[in-house]
Parts: sequence; C-alpha cells; structure tokens
Amino acid sequence: MIKLPTLFWLIVVTTAGFAMFAVKYEVQALADQLARTAKQADNTERSIRALEAEWAYLNRPDALAQMNQQLLSLVPIATKQLHTDVTDIPMRPVPPPPPAPAETVAASDPAASAPQTPAGPAPQSAVAQNPPAQSPATQSPAAQTPAPQSQPAEAPRPVVTAALEAPTTTRSIKPAIAAKPAAVRKTPPHRAASLNELIAQIVESR
Amino acid sequence: MSAAFQFDDNPCRPRHFRPPPCTPVVPDGPAKRALEGCRPRLFIATIAFLAAFGVIAGRLVQVTLLPSGISVPRIARFESPPPPALGRADIVDRQGKLLASTLDSPSLYADPRQILDAADAAQKLAATLPGLDRAAVYAKLTSGKGFVWIKRHLTPDQAYAVNQLGLPGLQFQHEERRVYPYGALLSHVVGFTGIDDNGEAGIERGLDDSLRRRQQPMQLSIDLRLQYILHEELARVVNDFTAKGGAGLIMNVNTGEILAMVSLPDFDPSHPDTLDPDHPNWTIAERMFNRVTLGDYEIGSVFKIFTTAMGLDSGATSMTGRFDATYPIHIGRFTISDYHGKHRWESVPEILMYSSNIGEAKIALAVGGDRQQQYLRRFGLLSSPNIELKEVGKPHYPAKWREVSVMTIGFGHGISETPLQVATAGAALVNGGVLRPATLLKLPPGGAPEGTRVISQQTSDEMRQLLRMVVLYGTGEMVDAPGYVVGGKTGTADKVEGKHYAERKLLSSFLGAFPMTAPKYLALVMVDEPHPNKWSHGFATAGWTAAPAVGRTIVRIAPLLGVQPVDESSPEIVHALTPESMQGKHVEAY
Repeated sequence: MIKLPTLFWLIVVTTAGFAMFAVKYEVQALADQLARTAKQADNTERSIRALEAEWAYLNRPDALAQMNQQLLSLVPIATKQLHTDVTDIPMRPVPPPPPAPAETVAASDPAASAPQTPAGPAPQSAVAQNPPAQSPATQSPAAQTPAPQSQPAEAPRPVVTAALEAPTTTRSIKPAIAAKPAAVRKTPPHRAASLNELIAQIVESR
Repeated sequence: MSAAFQFDDNPCRPRHFRPPPCTPVVPDGPAKRALEGCRPRLFIATIAFLAAFGVIAGRLVQVTLLPSGISVPRIARFESPPPPALGRADIVDRQGKLLASTLDSPSLYADPRQILDAADAAQKLAATLPGLDRAAVYAKLTSGKGFVWIKRHLTPDQAYAVNQLGLPGLQFQHEERRVYPYGALLSHVVGFTGIDDNGEAGIERGLDDSLRRRQQPMQLSIDLRLQYILHEELARVVNDFTAKGGAGLIMNVNTGEILAMVSLPDFDPSHPDTLDPDHPNWTIAERMFNRVTLGDYEIGSVFKIFTTAMGLDSGATSMTGRFDATYPIHIGRFTISDYHGKHRWESVPEILMYSSNIGEAKIALAVGGDRQQQYLRRFGLLSSPNIELKEVGKPHYPAKWREVSVMTIGFGHGISETPLQVATAGAALVNGGVLRPATLLKLPPGGAPEGTRVISQQTSDEMRQLLRMVVLYGTGEMVDAPGYVVGGKTGTADKVEGKHYAERKLLSSFLGAFPMTAPKYLALVMVDEPHPNKWSHGFATAGWTAAPAVGRTIVRIAPLLGVQPVDESSPEIVHALTPESMQGKHVEAY
C-alpha cells in the first residue's frame, strides 16, 4: 500500500518530468525553425543580391539608350527648353497674317469672306454671322464669353497692343473653321503677353 | 551496558550466534553530554538549510508564477547564427546604383564513381550547360577519379537546371564571384578583382582591405549618368579624330569629389585580359592604363592658367600688365614662338586668350623660378596626386630649375602632370582659391574638407574672368555650351618622343568650369594624338577636339547637376565676368 505523501511526490516528479521534456522539445523545434528561417533569409538575401545585380545590368545606360532609340526616340533636353519657372516660358509668338491662304479661302467660301474685310473686331462679326455655331461654344466655356467685352474695358495695359494684333490670327483661321460649324471652338480673342496676364484674364472671366 | 557490548567484548562468543536486533542505545554519561551538545548545532543547520531552500523556492515562484517587475529575460539568450559572410562589400555610385557586387556562383563537380550512366549524364550536361563538350565531359566522368570539375562559376539559372536533371554523383561547390553590371563603363574607377578576390585595379585595389572588412556598400563620388555621358562624348571625340586614346574627368570644384572619370581605351572588368573585338589593336596593357591618374603628360597651354594665376597672385603682374610678344624668344638652342600670337604687345588677359607662349614665358620670368616652384608645390603640381587609387603617376620636371625651364614651364612644356592633378589645381583656381584633395568617395553633405588656400579670393575672381574671356574671344570658342557660362583653357602640346618633340603628334586638352559666375563643376578632356578630319578643316588642336567635347558634355550634364541655364548676354553676367580693364572695350577676337 503506497502511502499518500509518496503518491503525491510521485505525481509531482512525473509531472515535472513530462513538463521538462515538453519544454525541451518545444525549444528544439523552435531552434530548428529559427535555423530554417535564418537559412531562408540568407537565401532571400542572396536572391535579392542577384536580382539587384541583374536590375543594374538591365539598366545599363547603353542598353537603355539603344532601347530608347528603337522604341521611344527621346532626345536630350535642349538648353533652350530648360526654364527655372513657368513665368520664364515666353508666350507663343503671334504669327503674321498669311495673306495668300486667306484669299483662297475667301474665294472658295463667299459667306466667310465677309468677316475678313473689316479690319476691326473680326471674331465678333464672324461669330455673329454663325449663331448656331456659337451656341455649343457658349455652353461649354460659358465663363469665357464675357472676357472679350470686359477685357478692353479694363484699365489700359501694355498688352493692348497684343490684343489688337490677336484678331488678325483669328481672322485668318475663323473663316476656315466657320465652314464646319460643329467644329467651331471659342478661341480667346485676346492673347496674353505673359503668364501673369493670362492668369489675370482667367480670374477676371470667372 | 548494552548487550552488544557484552557480546563484542566476549572473546568466547560463539561464531554462529547472531545478535538480536539493536535496541536504541540510550547514551549516558559523557556520550549523553556530547549528544546534548549536538542538538542546537543540528537545529541551526536545519534552519540554515530551510532558509536556503525557502529562498530558492520563493525565487522560483517569483520568476515563474508572478508577473514580477524584475527584469528577467522572458526568453533565454539565444545565440542567433552569425550573419552569413557575404564576402566583399558592394561598390555603389553616389545615387546607390550597384557598380560591383559579389554573387553566388556555384561550381559543378562530379564523383565519377557514383555516376550511373556516364554517357547519358554527359549528354544531358552538355545540353544544359553552354560551352561544355560532350566528349570531354564523358572522358571526365569515366576517368574513375573521385573528383572532377565539370564547370566553374555557374549562373543561378544554370545551377537550377542542373539540379533539375536529377543526376546522382553531381555536387555543387559554393563559390562567389565579383560582378560588374556596367562593364567597361567604370573600368578604371572600380577596377577588378583577381583570384581569391584580390583587388587588382581601381578602387578594388586601392581600398582592398576596407572592401574585405566592411559590411555596408562602399559609396563612390561617381555619378553613373555623368560617367556614361563623359564616356560617350570622349569615345566620340577619340573615334572622330582617330586618336590613340583619351582621358576625361568631371569634378565638383567645391568639394573635390570626382563625379566621372574615364580613360580610353578601357577594358571589361569581367574579362580584363581579353582583347576588345571592336578595337583589336588596343593592347591589354594599353587598356589597363589609367590615363587620368597614372599617365603624366606635358599638358601644354592649359598650364598657362597656373602661370597667369601665380603672376597675378604674387603681384608680379596685374590684369592691366602688358608684355611684348612681338618677337620670338631665343634662349640657348630654344626658340619660343607663338602659334596663335598677335605679334605685338599683349595685355595679361590677351596673353591667356590668344594662348601666347612668349607672353607666358615673360610672366613666368617676372614671377621668378623660386616663387614659381613654391606656387607649383602649393598647387600640388610637384608631387604625386593623392587619390584612393594605387594607379597614380607622378609629375616629371627638371631637377635643375634653370631660366629656360622657368620659361618653358610657364607655358606648360618641360613639365608633365597627370590630368587628375591639373583638374584638382584648376578647381582651386576657380573656386575661390582653396585647394581640396580629389576624392573618389562620396562626401556627406557639408563634409567637404577645409582645404588649403593657394591663391587669394581676388586672384580666383580674376581667373574666372580670364577663363571666361578665353571661351568668349579666345582659343576656346568652340566650346559652344550656351547658357552655362563656361570658362576654360585649351591646350595643344606636341608630344615628346625620345628627346625631341614629335611633330604632328599632338595632345589636345581642354579644362573647363561652369557656371563661371560661381563655378560648381569642372570638366577636363584630353585627347591623345588626334588626327585632323574633314569636319575640323585639318585641325586637331584642342579648340577643335577637346573643347567641343567638353561643351557637348556640359550641355548634357548640366541639367542632371541642377545647373540652370542663364542668359549669358545679360548685363550683370557680362559685367561680372569682364575684367575691369576691358569693360566696354572692343575685344579683338582670336
């Protein structure tokens, strides 16, 4: 007959033994896992190194240049294309009115020749002659329509000279476009001389 | 008395007799007294042991069961496996682009005794690995040895493919290999390693120890994009003028960092000892030769900037000084004459602009031999260049500094310098007068060395004006990099062959800095033995070869370096870069 204290100690010893082995095996498993993970990390690291080298190889400037030549045909930026900020960019120069094409258009389209003769506010008259053409235009850039009226009314600026020249371009373009009423786009009648000018125009027209 | 005593004392005790089980001995007398004395000691010992076990038990409970505040590591310290040795450190450029790396490159070997079907294995291996001869592999696999190399340094893909074959008896030996993704582009900068990963050239050799030890990549001051552009432009000028070779350098004048360094002909660091199929006449030794740091050349007229600078800085002359350049100088068996000269009295700016040998010889005489030597030593032009490479040359100059040497050195003859030194000293002339050692390692922001002052700020300002005049009106007109306010100096020298100058063997160079209003970068191009071509109207001088190459390079690199083009004709810039003595005057163009 086993005495009670003996039984107690037997149970304690057995439990402790089992617990110890359980912990030991768990630690072993974890150590194995750690080693596996470390090896995996090492492999990954090596793969990354290989891939980085490959990436560098694929990005050789001469290879990129060759691909560019075949596929993109990009060229280096010319010095004159470089500007420190947007205000440095000159506005598009106003081309002189080409007389020859205007005459041929006038001959082919007598209806459109009418706005060409007056030297004054050509665009307005052209628009006035084609009321159906104006309606789609007024809908979309509605905000811009008051601009022509309000602009000359503003305090006179040095830009006014540009404003006087601007209609000449629209005059040469307008008749050609007027033939296709659907394609009429409302061009701003006043070409700003600088970016600040342009921003001012947009702000005013709102 | 106990019974046991009685039996033991009795000699006649029968041998078969077994004493009865012991009864407790009840001591009395002295024994009893001794036992009585033991009791307290026993008690004390018991208490002590109990206390000790109590402490242990208490501590156990505290550590394991109670959430104690005592910092007991929750996990036993586990010695993590050391990070795998990745071999030599990588080399990267200033933007972190990989210039050299160490990659796994397993080598395949076989144990022929384990090979089951040698013919089949040889067939499969030859089909998998390019460059393997089936018969040779078969011979190896049937040799009966215990170890034969099949192929060294496989790519990862090839190793995978061999594994997929599933042939018994094949094994991989772990090996590493240095790779240079950009090939010849950086050959002289990065260099290459030989067997056992020994650095054999370039940074690999110069910083070999450091590369072996460090874990972090080594960051160079080189900018890959600039290197490519310089390489391309230099190769172009070398090709166009069918030159023997060339050297090019781009440097940050305010820190001494070298942003690009090209020497042509160059080599592929992966195969340094093979001939270039495109240029079979380039010998291996020639391709290995770093013209920027190892070669020393009589750089010719570019050297005049140093003479002019020392003339101005020492007070021997001034911007308004004038020298008679009407007639050639005859001294001993030498005759010093001008190639571009105006044959009249010329002012100091004109002497540099028109590159007058006579004028510079006279400035050098005015400075004097001793002071000339002092200045050259200060510019670092009389000692070996200081750079992180082992391939460094040293300047050659006469041991005895005679009057004729003073004069010829004044215009860059009779003294030979490495292009690196010329660029480093040239940077000091335009950056405000402070010489900073050239370096191939990236400096941290604001980490430029203090440097040593070699000329005054005022002299440096005057030099900037003079170098700008050279490009505007003088021999450097072909630079043609509008907007970047380039200033510089051309140099065309006859090469020395034996003891004489060889006619028609030229060394054309151009040293340019930009923007001259506040110079940031310097570019040097040197072309070795250019031959005239149709485009250059029979010229192979620096103005037609090196100067346009520098101009083309600057136009391409300036946007990358964040240098904004400006309107060069704006009054402020023109005023700032025109010497006071020439303000508003008409300058006779070269």
